Amino acid sequence: MVKLNSVLVIGAGAGGIKASLDLAEAGFKVYLCDRSPAIGGALIRMDRWFPDNHCGLCQMLPAFSTDDSSRFCLRRGLIHPDIELMPLTEVKEVAGQAGDFRIGVTSRATGVTPELCIGCGLCAGVCPVETAREFNEGLAPRKAIYPPHPGVLPYVYTIDWDSCTKCGACVAKCPTQAIRLKEGEVIRQLRVGAVILATGFEEFDPVLATQYGYQRYPNVITGIELERILSPSGLTGGELLRLSDNRAPGSIAFLQCVGSRDSRKDYCSSTCCMFALKEATLLKQANPQVDIHIFFMDIRAFGKGYYRYYEQARDELGVKFTRSRVPVIREDPPTRNLVLTTIEENGALAKRQFELVVLSVGQTPAPGFQELCQVLGVEVNKWGFCRSELFSPVATTREGIYVCGSASAPKDIADTLVEAGAAADQASGWLARRRVPPTPPEEAMESDAEEAPRLGVLLCDCGQEITSVLDLEEIAEFSRQLPDVAWVARVPYLCYTDAWQRPAKELRKHKVNRLVIGACSRYFNTRLGEIGLNSSAVQKVNLREHIAWVHGDNPKVATEKAKSLLAMAIELARAPEPEPASPVNVHPRALVIGGGLAGLTAALSLARHGIEVHLVEKSAGLGGNLKQICYTLEGDDPQALRENIIARVKTDRLIQVALETELMEVGGYAGNFEVSLKGKESLLHSLEVGAIIVASGGEEYRPTEYLYGQNKNIITQKELEGKLFSAKLDPRNISSVVMIQCVGSREKERPYCSRICCSQALKNALRLKEGNPDIEVTVLYRDMTSYGFQEEYYTRAREKGMTFVRYEPESKPEVRPEGERLVVEVAEPVLGGRLILEPDLVILSPAIIPPENTPLAWTLGVGLNEDGFFQEAEVKFRPVDFLTEGIYVCGLAHSPRGMGESITQAQAAAQKAVSLLTREQLVSGIAVSETIQRQCSQCELCITVCSYTARMKDVESGEVVVRGALCRGCGACVVACPSGAAKLRGFKDRQVFSLIDAAF
Amino acid sequence: MSSSAILPVGDGGVLGAVRAFLGSLWQKKLIDALLVPLELPSGDNVVPAIVSDPEKLKMANPLAPVMPLNSARQVSAITIASPSAERLGVVLRPCEMRALIELVKLKQASLENLLLIGIDCPGTYSISDYGRFVQKVKSPANDFLSKFQEGKEDPLLRKACQICEYPVPANTDLVIGLLGMDLNNSILLEAGTAAGERIIGELGLEKGGVRSREAAIAKMVSQRAERRERLFEQVRKDARGLEKLMAALATCINCHNCKTACPLCYCQECFFDSPVFKFEAEKYLGWAQRRGALRMPTDTLLFHLTRLNHMVISCVGCGLCTEACPNNIPVADIFRLVGDKVQKDFEYVPGRNLDDELPLTTFREEELHNIGI
Repeated sequence: MVKLNSVLVIGAGAGGIKASLDLAEAGFKVYLCDRSPAIGGALIRMDRWFPDNHCGLCQMLPAFSTDDSSRFCLRRGLIHPDIELMPLTEVKEVAGQAGDFRIGVTSRATGVTPELCIGCGLCAGVCPVETAREFNEGLAPRKAIYPPHPGVLPYVYTIDWDSCTKCGACVAKCPTQAIRLKEGEVIRQLRVGAVILATGFEEFDPVLATQYGYQRYPNVITGIELERILSPSGLTGGELLRLSDNRAPGSIAFLQCVGSRDSRKDYCSSTCCMFALKEATLLKQANPQVDIHIFFMDIRAFGKGYYRYYEQARDELGVKFTRSRVPVIREDPPTRNLVLTTIEENGALAKRQFELVVLSVGQTPAPGFQELCQVLGVEVNKWGFCRSELFSPVATTREGIYVCGSASAPKDIADTLVEAGAAADQASGWLARRRVPPTPPEEAMESDAEEAPRLGVLLCDCGQEITSVLDLEEIAEFSRQLPDVAWVARVPYLCYTDAWQRPAKELRKHKVNRLVIGACSRYFNTRLGEIGLNSSAVQKVNLREHIAWVHGDNPKVATEKAKSLLAMAIELARAPEPEPASPVNVHPRALVIGGGLAGLTAALSLARHGIEVHLVEKSAGLGGNLKQICYTLEGDDPQALRENIIARVKTDRLIQVALETELMEVGGYAGNFEVSLKGKESLLHSLEVGAIIVASGGEEYRPTEYLYGQNKNIITQKELEGKLFSAKLDPRNISSVVMIQCVGSREKERPYCSRICCSQALKNALRLKEGNPDIEVTVLYRDMTSYGFQEEYYTRAREKGMTFVRYEPESKPEVRPEGERLVVEVAEPVLGGRLILEPDLVILSPAIIPPENTPLAWTLGVGLNEDGFFQEAEVKFRPVDFLTEGIYVCGLAHSPRGMGESITQAQAAAQKAVSLLTREQLVSGIAVSETIQRQCSQCELCITVCSYTARMKDVESGEVVVRGALCRGCGACVVACPSGAAKLRGFKDRQVFSLIDAAF
Repeated sequence: MSSSAILPVGDGGVLGAVRAFLGSLWQKKLIDALLVPLELPSGDNVVPAIVSDPEKLKMANPLAPVMPLNSARQVSAITIASPSAERLGVVLRPCEMRALIELVKLKQASLENLLLIGIDCPGTYSISDYGRFVQKVKSPANDFLSKFQEGKEDPLLRKACQICEYPVPANTDLVIGLLGMDLNNSILLEAGTAAGERIIGELGLEKGGVRSREAAIAKMVSQRAERRERLFEQVRKDARGLEKLMAALATCINCHNCKTACPLCYCQECFFDSPVFKFEAEKYLGWAQRRGALRMPTDTLLFHLTRLNHMVISCVGCGLCTEACPNNIPVADIFRLVGDKVQKDFEYVPGRNLDDELPLTTFREEELHNIGI
């Protein structure tokens, strides 16, 4: 079969970027297309994310070979040598099959030649058209010619053809003749081995739900509009002001489930509860006085750490929560405040006034999504999202095409990014891996570090953008006087394609070996090859954005600043180029800890990519918790899945299974771990592996509540499931059951939601009803967490006559035996009385808890969270990584999750491991730390402060050494070391001193 | 660990009692050698020495109110390459013990096979003041202690000692207690660890304690804390801000004596002695040209700021840096003031406990608030 090296990712939002980076890092060529002119999707319209309330986008960037790709903020752009960005591009045609697709794409012209546009903005200045601006949710006007968003890089303008009148004013004004007022399309055919669909979602349009008064009342806004208002790049510069009167609102209401969980959209959007909680948290932190009220049906805080976040908003920040049905909104005309009429839980009507109302709108399929799916030949489900199956969550109905993120179901960033990793893993199965040459490029070595520095200084006029403020002639003259400067030149536009020809000749003539560029924020590295220099021989000073544009009112001072910054850059360029650190070899072998669903899935994924796998399982059999799952809510067969994957694992010649075996010791580092394993009967034996996947699982909490274990008619959901499945229990012999949710979850000792118990209860309740429609099922719950498409089953359960009674944690249900009968008594919030039930069975939904993970975490040198689950490197952006490189986590070891979610996470973890293990060598960046042994006192402070385990004490020599491939060049060791023995290559003391000197 | 015993004071005074106790450690074969200050033949100073012959104990004088160097540094020198194989007793003042704890955390010393004997410290003189003091009295140690017993604190004591809030050693196996005792009759031997307790048992000493001790310690600590606050006030006035700090350090000659005297400055080679600071003439002249005049030697301010930055979190306030300065710069005063603030910010007490992690090696999100982030 033909296998290609390239892959197409459709949609450049969070999922698309993550999948692209993962694939590019694994050595594949990626085409990343998006309909819009810039990358970022929904992601870049948000500034901060729960649960840590800041931006962590750059955490996604690759950890290895950092010099070329990761000195860059992803909000501004994505620059990676193996990712080709295709903006304004749509897929029109798909032919071929998995492994060899031929895909026709069309890219619309932006009207602006990117190579010519210098981003000066003169065109927008003269453009007579004002239109709503999508980046700021239509809240602020923009021109018909505009930069896609304020930080985009390269800073190139684009034309919005829908509003452009083609008056030609911009064409006349453009100093570089970059504008062509001609719409057009470029058709291109791509050959790729696989496709990833990451098109995301569209927000539900609240105009469609008239009761909210959206767009009739100016002070009713959506969550994403609020996000834009709060953003420093938004229209009020980050200050929260009402649109009606520019006043800060004192009271804000959030309305949940707008466009979700109703008759038209019978699914839960899964993210809006947390989104509202985040907005409320940020608002409260900025101004504790503001009164915030969230109106909701159920709080679904089911992700890792989310329930804690909810409790913090409620208990520490004082956000108020009211459970109510969808309220009606009327405006109070004189004040333009909003009066909410709500039907409270007890049926009473209540009126409250708020100064601002925020609608938490749900996720719907992206516009044109059905058509795109038709082109791709993949099916959509009844809600219009891409169809996928529970046990293959990232697979579509067409082989070779995978899906991730909200394209297949509403999802938050964390789950989207896990799926992106899984999709990358699955897609790469159809791709041919390119052999990366193991040795670093020779030219870097021979670039004559010994040779005396001869500097060139290249200054860009940028038309008049720079020269109108800075005296470039004076600056050029100043530069000529500085040491080792051999050649100084000015260029009218450095970003022009032909701008480099003359300088290239001059550079050769003057034997220039280091270059300092004074220009703008453009990323010129791609052009450096043309002049025979590599990126480490070049320093850049941003004369335009950092100086000319901010000091336009004071040319004299601006020129002085430019001189200082250039002098510093020159000093930096004069320093000898550090030699690259020696690369590290990789053992192409992985250890998987745990033989449950996650571990087995990860092992199969690894083996599929040709990686030798050693899977160790503590118990005597494979399958873990999967053994006890008999059927699913959606009607799949878990036992068939179990038999299938176990059989595949057992027959795979690359996978070796060791049962009743535990990990005793781990030494080494990413690519080079040495692990000691101990079987029940056998002796300790050691193994060299390059990566470790932790899939050690979780277990069910054994309730101590509700008389569990004291009465045979009080059982857990799992026990009920087993009995129903084995026909030990006949529903026809039962007349009533009571199910109690949150047994051991969302309690003081375990402040987290176990995520799967609500769907488990629905599953078993529906099964009971199926066997006996007359059975009375009462579910006692706190918040029904049937997120995503599970909502359908919640609706179905209610239609089938099941009763759902909510209880408060302060007044839990009481279970007591009365003679032969069981009595359950619970406070009934709707009627206010007490409900007394006499069920045949009481079914408890116990929490998912971690096993005692401390010894394993200790052995691996990784962390656990407060609840005892393994702690990933970053909740959203590095969801399967640990801070220690080369060790990954998936399944219940990470947090409670469903089967499909465990499979996805296992594939994502495998992808990370494969990406590491298919490199023959790990090459570090230039900025790597090192130890001057003569000065080292071996106090080991540097080892303690290193977050990446890059520093260690060499057992044989006793010296403190650095494993270059693991070092991220953060410099913490340099700060910690009092002796000056820890140094960062490229940032040595003398160099920094000279730099400071040059500045003054 | 409350076991303690009374050591009787006989004709030899307190010093005699202490020597007798140290000798008894040999007799019972509890130690093989002892690091203890010995009197110089001239009698005007003491130096720490490793004593392996109990005969030499007649020169031992851990009570002499003088501290030419901080013995923690000597313990580091002895144990850094390999821990002691024999049982080595070490007699330490509280500030020496506290410095030793810091050095162990910094992996510059090992406590393995050491028997740590702490001794209450009423304070010490500078070497020159001690030299004058011994001229005037017959038995300097006993005489000093009897004055101390009368509650007279000599204003000539080193400033660092006058403001020291740690007159009683912590973390040692044994403490020789002087505070709150009737020094004409007895001194106290207190166990600080299980090992210390065993030793008291093996020496067959009569168990006992004194009630007056706690109150005496509390009184002394509060007096000294009061003095410390007054000194802080003065230093703030004299040395706060860049201008005043530069003035305070103006006479620094870059001799780096303070670094040598400091028990904690543990670098193999001081960064400031390294070639990084050896500049070409053109650099010096360039700086001079830009500023009009260049103070020589250069980088003295940077040296002190860097040493503060590296060491102040662990500074135990022994004050030997000031003693070592040929130009009387109050280095210790500045270190104490800055240390007080930094140590409070990180809730860290140097030398308090081996288990307290060095602030640099731990991360607490909320600690950033203290520095205004």
